[in-house]
Amino acid sequence: MSAAPMPVAPLPRGGVATLVGRQGRDWAPAVVVLVAFVGLWEEIVRAAHVQRFLLPAPTAIWTAFSSNQGQLWHEGWVTFQEALGGFAIGCTAGMLAAVLVARWDLVGGALMPYAIAANAIPIIAFAPITNAWFNPLTKTAHMVIAAVLCFFPVFVNVVRGLRSVRPAQIELMRSYAVGELTVFRLVRVPTALPFLFTSLRVASVLAMIGAIVSEYYGGALDTLGANIEQDASLFQFEKAWAEIVIACILGIGFYLAVALLERLATRWQPRIEMVGA
Amino acid sequence: MGRKHGIGIAVALVAVAVSLWAGLGSANAQPQAAKLDKVTLQLKWVTQSQFAGYYAAKSLGYYKQFGLDVNIKVGGPSITPETVVASGQADIGIDWLPSLLATRDTGTKLVNIAQMFARSGMTELTWKSSGITSIAGMRNHTVGVWCCGNQFELYAALTKHGMDPEKQQGVKIFNQPFTMTDFLSHRIDAAAAMTYNELAQVLESKDPKTGKLYTLKDLNVFPLQKEGTSMLEDGLFAQEKWVSGHRDVAMRFIAASDRGWIYCRDHVQQCTKIVLQNGTALPGGHQLWEMNEINKLVWPNTLGIGVMDPAAFKRTAAIALKYKVIKKAQNASAYDAALPKAALQYLQNHVKGIDIHGKAYRPIAVTLKAGGK
Repeated sequence: MSAAPMPVAPLPRGGVATLVGRQGRDWAPAVVVLVAFVGLWEEIVRAAHVQRFLLPAPTAIWTAFSSNQGQLWHEGWVTFQEALGGFAIGCTAGMLAAVLVARWDLVGGALMPYAIAANAIPIIAFAPITNAWFNPLTKTAHMVIAAVLCFFPVFVNVVRGLRSVRPAQIELMRSYAVGELTVFRLVRVPTALPFLFTSLRVASVLAMIGAIVSEYYGGALDTLGANIEQDASLFQFEKAWAEIVIACILGIGFYLAVALLERLATRWQPRIEMVGA
Repeated sequence: MGRKHGIGIAVALVAVAVSLWAGLGSANAQPQAAKLDKVTLQLKWVTQSQFAGYYAAKSLGYYKQFGLDVNIKVGGPSITPETVVASGQADIGIDWLPSLLATRDTGTKLVNIAQMFARSGMTELTWKSSGITSIAGMRNHTVGVWCCGNQFELYAALTKHGMDPEKQQGVKIFNQPFTMTDFLSHRIDAAAAMTYNELAQVLESKDPKTGKLYTLKDLNVFPLQKEGTSMLEDGLFAQEKWVSGHRDVAMRFIAASDRGWIYCRDHVQQCTKIVLQNGTALPGGHQLWEMNEINKLVWPNTLGIGVMDPAAFKRTAAIALKYKVIKKAQNASAYDAALPKAALQYLQNHVKGIDIHGKAYRPIAVTLKAGGK
């Protein structure tokens, strides 16, 4: 076999200024595109006299945003707490289930097909039902939907990760007469980490979606979902868009936080990737 | 060009020829009927007796007789009739007056062309066992309201008794979905309920303790009409520029719709059947109750069906302004006073002796069964 493991370059060291400068250069083109996009949006809305309820101008959305800041950030925070709670519950449950399934093949064989099938069911369709099971005035009902959305991607990916250990490594461990637990700790977990973090990034986005959509079906009034629905139906579309912007900011922030966690957690492990056969 | 291509082209040509022939053939086959004016109506919610008059008018041919071809579009959650009409996807819409005023407040030029429901059907319910015997008694309890423009009648009532529902001072507001589950499971102390719908849903449910259906004896019902904070509900509206370009069409539509509602007043059972034939989510027994309750909101009407009562409009607009549903006060330019009157005149000219006031109207008695069957 000609394949030679190629270590991926670790995170470059250097001063904060170098790091920021490098990030700045990387991000500058994207920022330019964003500014141009917003500018174009504003121009088109003005020039074509687009009706306010079809597409408000960015300046109108900004006005709605800045004049309701306190309320918007409060609503965003409530929704974010639901997403965070659901994320924590769902991902932990997913990881635990994955460990069980990977350890005992019989359990895995029995449950995996159903887990994969359940992953395909639009879980969001259950939101009105979970709101009937749990009191939607509390955050629990919304956390449940977010947790269910997070569970399956994490579960499926971690199982795959735990099982994708190279046989040579397992054989090496056996030759050292090491117990299962040590094999798990030294070999399986590090192999599974990249899979885990990929699924965590996906789950972070799903958690926000789950929280907001379940809020459409009843509950407290100081949440993003309830207010987006309400403002859209009362023709206050600029405010609805402002709420969507908050949801995006929080969702992206959550995603970036998980990505940063991934960088830190896998920083000390050189990621070995197979090149060639 | 090979044989394969040749055959493919031949098949394509035959297909085009057949479809052209079929298309032209069917166009020729239809007799040249009198041209009907097309109108699209956007309902406020899903098919049910709340819109019986329009279904009756379509089913009994009243629209056709007055020269209209009406397409009824069903509403539902997340469908705002004002948005549908403002974007041109429907000509006429049905919604509650406060929602229309809120839309006008943002500068969108929609106007009320007929106020079909003269009274409000909104109530708040509490259980007798909760001991909440008045709106004032809801202080420090959890009160369910609907979102999206349906909450203001209750907000006004709560504010009248010293609570601030917007800031949740003195009362906890629960954003109620369009079911009674949270009330039935005693999660909330008070729930919003329309006399014609959600109240019936409660009365069609079995009390788990007794195994029998709940009755009105188990509930305290607070009609907001009695609280003095009711607002006008179902009315027809359209874009101002559509109305000015289609006044005659609008008038005939209102006249035929009025005729449908008059039929439903005088033929409750048959009208319910028409609604059921159009496909409803809730079954026959429930629809009969609903038909009866809706009739109570429409009849009697001393001004004639569809005519706006200026005093009721002023009260609705004042409450809307007070609770910041609208930021600028609205006046009579929000509704077309002449159209519904012209429609009634047209109707009386075409259908001799038709009763447009319903002075002698009496509701029937309806017994509910489990599940609304």
